[in-house]
Amino acid sequence: MIQLKHISKHYPVGFGKNAVLDDIDLTIHAGEFVSIMGPSGSGKSTLLHILGLLEEPSGGEYLFEGEPVHKMSEKKRTQLHRGSIGFVFQAYHLIDELTVYENIETPLLYKNVPSSERKSRVADVLDRFNIVAKKDLFPNQLSGGQQQLVGIARAIVAEPRVIFADEPTGNLHSDQARVIMQLFKHLNETDKITIVQVTHSEQNAAFGHRVIEIRDGKIR
Amino acid sequence: MFRNYLKIAWRNLWKSRLLTAVNILGLAVAFTASILLVLTAAREFSFDQFHDHKQQLQQLYISVHHVQGTEERSNLPMPLTPALKQEFPEVKAASRFMDASGMVRYRDKMYGSDVMGVDPDFLRMFSFPLLSGEKQQPLRSLSNVVITERMARKIFGSAEPVGQSLEMYLEGRWKTFIVSAVAEDVPDNSSLEFDMLCRFEHVPAYADQKDAWNSSTHEVFVQLSDQATAAAFERRAKTFVNKYFAEGIRNLQRDGAVPGKDGALIGLHLMPLTDIHFNSISSSGGAISRFYPYMLLLIGIFILFIACVNFMNLTIAGAFSRSREIGMRKILGAFRGQVIMQLWGEAVLVCGLALLAGMAMAYFLLPGYNALFSNRLSLNLLRQPWLLPGLFLVFVLVTLVAGGYPALMIARLNTIKVLKGSLLTGRSNRVRNVLIVTQFVISSLLICCTLIAWQQLNYLRKKPLGYSKEQVISIPVPYNVDAELALTRMRNQLSGHAGILAVTGTDINMGRGRDGSSATSIVSFDYKGREVRSHWLRVDYDYVGAMGLQLVAGRDFSRAYGTDSSALLINEKMAAQLGGMEAALGALLPVEDSAHPQQVIGIVKDFNFKSLKEEIGPLTLNINKEWPLQYIFVKVAAGNLPGYMNLVKQQWQALYPGSSTDPSFLDENTDRQYRREQRFSGIFISAAVLAIIISCMGLFAISVLIMTRRTREVGVRKVLGASVAGIVTLLSKDFVKLVLLSVMIASPVAWYIMEQWLQHYAYRIPVNIGVFLLAGAIALLVAVITVSIQSVRAALMNPVKSIRTE
Ligand SMILES: Nc1ncnc2c1ncn2[C@@H]1O[C@H](COP(=O)(O)OP(=O)(O)O)[C@@H](O)[C@H]1O
Ligand SMILES: [Mg+2]
Repeated sequence: MIQLKHISKHYPVGFGKNAVLDDIDLTIHAGEFVSIMGPSGSGKSTLLHILGLLEEPSGGEYLFEGEPVHKMSEKKRTQLHRGSIGFVFQAYHLIDELTVYENIETPLLYKNVPSSERKSRVADVLDRFNIVAKKDLFPNQLSGGQQQLVGIARAIVAEPRVIFADEPTGNLHSDQARVIMQLFKHLNETDKITIVQVTHSEQNAAFGHRVIEIRDGKIR
Repeated sequence: MFRNYLKIAWRNLWKSRLLTAVNILGLAVAFTASILLVLTAAREFSFDQFHDHKQQLQQLYISVHHVQGTEERSNLPMPLTPALKQEFPEVKAASRFMDASGMVRYRDKMYGSDVMGVDPDFLRMFSFPLLSGEKQQPLRSLSNVVITERMARKIFGSAEPVGQSLEMYLEGRWKTFIVSAVAEDVPDNSSLEFDMLCRFEHVPAYADQKDAWNSSTHEVFVQLSDQATAAAFERRAKTFVNKYFAEGIRNLQRDGAVPGKDGALIGLHLMPLTDIHFNSISSSGGAISRFYPYMLLLIGIFILFIACVNFMNLTIAGAFSRSREIGMRKILGAFRGQVIMQLWGEAVLVCGLALLAGMAMAYFLLPGYNALFSNRLSLNLLRQPWLLPGLFLVFVLVTLVAGGYPALMIARLNTIKVLKGSLLTGRSNRVRNVLIVTQFVISSLLICCTLIAWQQLNYLRKKPLGYSKEQVISIPVPYNVDAELALTRMRNQLSGHAGILAVTGTDINMGRGRDGSSATSIVSFDYKGREVRSHWLRVDYDYVGAMGLQLVAGRDFSRAYGTDSSALLINEKMAAQLGGMEAALGALLPVEDSAHPQQVIGIVKDFNFKSLKEEIGPLTLNINKEWPLQYIFVKVAAGNLPGYMNLVKQQWQALYPGSSTDPSFLDENTDRQYRREQRFSGIFISAAVLAIIISCMGLFAISVLIMTRRTREVGVRKVLGASVAGIVTLLSKDFVKLVLLSVMIASPVAWYIMEQWLQHYAYRIPVNIGVFLLAGAIALLVAVITVSIQSVRAALMNPVKSIRTE
C-alpha cells in the first residue's frame, strides 16, 4: 500500500540546510498496524506528514497504492484526503466552532455524501464510540480523551483505508490511552483499516504488529 | 455544506462580537455615506435626462471673437429661430425660451409666477407631459397658456383650471389669457423651469425686436432630425452666419479680431441639452463643474475603500484564529477553492448585513441630509438605469477586496505550519501596515483639502470688495411696480428716519439676491477706431455714496447738473482701456450712437462688482432712465441692522400694500455667490470627518487584537517594573509612526490638488504649510487617542492575571 524509496527531507536553515530524514526505505502493506518510535526531534512527525501527503519529500520516491505521489495533482491529493486517508493528531485539532456532531459530519460534507446517509453514518459512529450524549457539545466542553475520541471518529467516518495518528495519546492519561489503542486495534482487525501511529510508549506500540525505530532521520 | 458554512460564519462572528460590530458598523456607515454621495452626484448627472428626445435636443449658442477675447453666449436674436427653421431641414423643431412675465392675476388676487414665452414646438420637443386640456396644440392660439399642476392648484384651488381665464402682467399692462392645458410639474432635475408657458410673441419688446439681428435676449433650443449630427449642422451654419451676421463680422474684421480655430469670427454652435447643466455658456444651465459630482463619487469610493481596509485588516488579523480550522478542513478534504469560497462567503454575509444597514440608514438620513446641505435628493434617483447595477457591482467589488484577499491569504497558508503553530506573522504585518498607511493617506488628504477649501471660502467671504456690503439693503422691485416712482417714494418716505444714510437704485444686484438671480449687462461701441467693451450698470444719484465707492478723479452724478442723465462714471479698468485717467476724464463716448456721445465725468476706484472668481473688468455707470431700475439700495447706519431692515420692509408695505418683495443685505447676497462651494465643502468636510472616524475604528479594532496578543508580554514587563506610561508608549509608537508617514505622503498630494483647484479663483489664498501641520496634528491626535485607549487598558491590567490566563 505504501512504498518509500530513498526518501529524504531537509529544511533550509540560515544559509545551509537541516537534514531531517535521510534515505528512508519503507514498505507498509494494507491491513498492517505499524508504530513509529524514536526520540523527540528524530523526524517521526515529518515522516508521518510525508506519508499523509501533507509535506513533500526533498528527494526519493513515494508510491501510494502503487501511484507515484510526486506526480499527483493537488486535486488528486485532496481526493485521497477525502476518501482514503484519515488523520489523528496529538492536539486533536477539532474545529472549535462546530459541535461534536458537526465535526464528525464535516468530512462527509466534503465527500458529497447525501444527507440521509450522512445522518446515519454519523449516528453509527457516535453510537459505536459511545458519545451520542455529547453530540451537541462543543470541543471545549469535552475532556481530552473525549476530544480524541471525536478526533478518531472524524478520521474514520469517511471510511478511509489508512489512518495516520501522530502521538494520539500524547496528551492523555494511561487509561484513556488504552481505550484509544483498543479502538485502533479493533478498527484494524474488524474494519481492515491500515494504521500508522507515532508513539513514545512501548505499551501503545505493543498494540500494533510492527515497530519502526527512527533515529537521526534514519530507520534502525 | 452551505448550512455548515453559515453556522461556522455565524458562530465566528458571534465569538468576536466586538470586531464584527466594528466591521459591520464601519462598513454600514461607509455604505450610507457612499449611497448619499452617489445620490448627490447622480442628481447632478440626472439633469435633463428625462426627455424622450434627449439625443436630438440641443441648445444653440454663439461664439464671437472680439479683439479683447472670445465671447460665448446662449442669448440670441429673435429673427434667428424663424430663419433657422426656414433654412435647415434637419431642424425638426425649434423653440425660443424667454421670461415673459413674473406676475399673474386671477379674480383680483396676484400671484408671483414664472411665465416663459416659448414657440409652439416647445411642448413637442421636450417631455413635459400634459395632464388635461388640449394636448395636441395647446399653444395654437396667442391667448392660450399652459400651466403646471402646482401653479394651477395655487391659483384655482380645486376648480378645473382648463378653460379658466386669468390675467398676466406684460410690459406695464394686464392682458387676459385662457388656460388651454395643465402640464405635469417640472421635474426638479430640469434645467428649464416654468410655472406657465405662453406664446413667445408676448415676451417684452417683441414688437421692436422681432426682426432685430443686433439684440440678443433669449435662448434657443432645437430638435435635430434623427440622422442629423451637430457637427454637420455647425458646418452648414457657417453660410447662415455669413448671411445674417454680415455687419457684425465686418466690424470685427475692421478691429482686427482674430478668427477662431474654425476660421470664423462668429460661429453658431450646438451643445447637447444634457450638457447644459455643466455648462456656463448656457443661461439656463447650472454652470456646475463636472469636477464636483466626480469628486463626490471619488470620495464615496475612498470612504468605502477605507472601510474595506478595516475589514481586510481585521480578517487578516483574525486569520490566526481561523487558520487552524482552515488547515484542518484542508486535511479533511477541502479544495482550496472551497476554502476560499467559504471565507469569501463570510465576507459577503458581513458586507450584506452592512449594506442592508447602510441602505436603511441612508433612507432615514436622507431628509436630514437634504436639509443640512440644501439638497433635493429623492430615492427616485435610484431609478436611473446605471445606479442599481452599479451599486451591485460595487458591492461585489467590496466583498472581493475586503474578503477576497484575506481568503486567498488564509487558504494559501501551509497546512502543517498552521497546525504546528509556527506561522510566520511578519508578512501579514507588512500588508497590514501598508493598508493602514493607505487609509490614513486618504484621510489626511481629505482633511488637508477640506481645510484649504474652507480657508479659501472664508477668505472670499471676508475679503473687502471695495464697497460697503454690510450696511446696504437691496430691495428687488416687483414687476408690476414702477421702479422710478418707487425710488422717489421710498426716498421721501425714508428721508426723515434716523439711521437711513442714503437711498439709491440700480438695475443689477450685487451678489445673488434671495431669488438667486444675478445678471450681467455688457455694452460695446467704437471709440477712436477701436471696439471698447464695458460692463454697463444703471445706478441713480447717491449710488457712489451709498456703496462707499471712492472717487479718484472728476465728480459724482449730481442733481445740480441738468445734463447728468447722459453723463458717465467709469472705473479704473475702463479708464485704462480709454487710454489712461487723463485721457478718459471728460472723454465723449458714443455708447448708443455717435450723434449723442456721453461724457465721462468721474472715475471710481476699482471694486469687485462680480464674484471673486473673476478679475475686475471695465465698468461704466450711468443714470439714464432708458435702462429701468430693478433694485432699490438703502444705506443704513451701523448698529441695529435688523431694526433698519424691519423699517425698510414696513415702509415698503405702507407704500405698496399687498405687493411682496424680499429685501436682503448685500453681504448676504455676496455670500450667496459661493453657495455651491459652501454646499459642496460642507459635504466634503463631513466626508473627511467620516473617513477619519472609520479609519480610527479600524485602528481601534486592530489595537484590540494586538493588545490581546501581547497581554502576556505586557504582564511580564510590568512584573519587571515598567511604568504605565512606558508601556503605553511601547504599544502605541508603531501606529504613531504609520500615521506620521501617511501625513507625509498625503501633504504634497493635497498641496498639488488644491493648488489646481485654487486656480479657478482670481482671488485666492496661498497654500500654507500650517494646514499640513494642522491636518497632521488632527490625524495623529485622533489615532493616538484611539490606540491609547487600548494600550492604557492593557497597561493597567493586573499582570498576574494576564500571565496566568495565557
Ligand atoms: N518547518 C520546519 N522548518 C525547519 N525545521 C523543521 C521544520 N519542521 C520540523 N523541523 C525540524 O525537523 C526535525 C524533526 O522534527 P519532527 O519531525 O517534528 O520530530 P519528532 O516528531 O520526531 O519530534 C526537528 O529538529 C525540527 O526542528
Ligand atoms: Mg512530533
